[in-house]
Amino acid sequence: MLFLDRVTKHYKMRGGGLKTVVRDVSAVIRPGDAVGIIGRNGAGKSTLMRMIAGVEHPTSGRIERRMSISWPLGHGVGLQNSMSGADNARFIARIYNRPVQAVLDYVEDFAELGTYLSMPAKTYSSGMMGRLLLGISLAIEFDCYLIDEVTATGDARFVERARLALLERTRDSAVIMVSHQPETLRSYCRTAAILNDGTLTFYEDMDEAFAAYQTL
Amino acid sequence: MSVSWPGLPDRGEDDTKRLRRGFAVQGRVVHALLLRELQTRFGRGGLGFLWLFLEPLLLGSAIGLLKYVLDRGHTGNVPVFLFAITGYAPYFAFRAVIGRASGAFASNMTLMYHRQVHLIDIMAARTLLEIGAVMAILVIVVGGAAWWADIKPNSVPTLVGGVLLLFLYAHGIAMLVAAGSAVSELAERMVHPVLYISLPFSGALFTMHSLPPSLRAFMLWNPQVHFHEMVRDGMFGDMIPAYYDLQYMTGFAVGMNLLGMMAMRAIRPKLEF
Repeated sequence: MLFLDRVTKHYKMRGGGLKTVVRDVSAVIRPGDAVGIIGRNGAGKSTLMRMIAGVEHPTSGRIERRMSISWPLGHGVGLQNSMSGADNARFIARIYNRPVQAVLDYVEDFAELGTYLSMPAKTYSSGMMGRLLLGISLAIEFDCYLIDEVTATGDARFVERARLALLERTRDSAVIMVSHQPETLRSYCRTAAILNDGTLTFYEDMDEAFAAYQTL
Repeated sequence: MSVSWPGLPDRGEDDTKRLRRGFAVQGRVVHALLLRELQTRFGRGGLGFLWLFLEPLLLGSAIGLLKYVLDRGHTGNVPVFLFAITGYAPYFAFRAVIGRASGAFASNMTLMYHRQVHLIDIMAARTLLEIGAVMAILVIVVGGAAWWADIKPNSVPTLVGGVLLLFLYAHGIAMLVAAGSAVSELAERMVHPVLYISLPFSGALFTMHSLPPSLRAFMLWNPQVHFHEMVRDGMFGDMIPAYYDLQYMTGFAVGMNLLGMMAMRAIRPKLEF
């Protein structure tokens, strides 16, 4: 379970003033939930994800994590450019206490990076980076995945395979996903929430959420 | 911290168990960071990691050679080369630990997206690596001197203790520097000039015994001087009278670490990604 208890986050703006990203947000995410978060650019979706992941701390309020939660999976986030794909996989396996060889085998098989796996990640295209990230995070197995606009790219066969792998994993795990694409949210999530003006509003029905978002 | 929130499930473990698990996680993280630091700084494969101690060893040797050529009379019956390297190798590492701390957060932001990686672990991994390098240099140089010139260290525990205390002190300062430079650009910019200016006051390259008593008393206010004197005492013993106060050193080393950890804790919620 994941609990957000009256979470508020301010940022100090350059030149004075405060920007409130979220205000007094409370929520409970249970194992098996699949929530899509919708909001405009700069609404604070990524900040909210980072707070849920424990990367950034709320200004006030509390977040309690009672299940294993992934790091916020976004473009290249949590990976190091100077290290090879394989070394990144090894590093992450070690800090999450998973068998290094098993993670490495999974990534090798899933990401299909071939010899690029032993090249520094800075030489990767953004599509390859996405494959590596997806491969490593699926190899670790979390109770709850935080997915921030990562989608599989590449040839149609890989995209389909990645979609199936992610769908299978999110069947047993919870997922909180940020995306601007309604189709992506529809295929992975069952409920939705709109983040607007610091307030998070939950909708049981995806269509209802999109309709409400249109009128904002 | 006890939880009093209706509906919140129990963690299923008491505080001691949580603490023990926390240490286990920290151990794993520091281990992974150590391996990563070795890889990113010195590359994989080949003899890349040798540079870790070859670089300061070469620098130390160059300074030792210069000293040997320029002022051979100064240190009495103590071999000049050995004198220079036992001063310079720890100093080089001291500067490296503190100097690298100034960008510790900025250059490791991406690692901290994994919530179990704390700034304090990143700092610990770097310091441990530098300790390893200096210890390797000392083993090579001191071992070489014992084997080649039959000059044995006076007291190995004093020598090693001096180096370790110096590192503990440096680690505390490094944490303060990392915290300061994460929130203030001015602090980040000041680190290198201050380190540069502090070399003559560090006592790394000359003995306190060679100074007039009034100047010596002044220099001994700086804790760093004590560490270098202790290292020299461990190496040369009675050949050079050494001036250091173990209580003063330990107090500063432990105090700096407490302050450093407090600073890390204080800035953590303020970090923006």
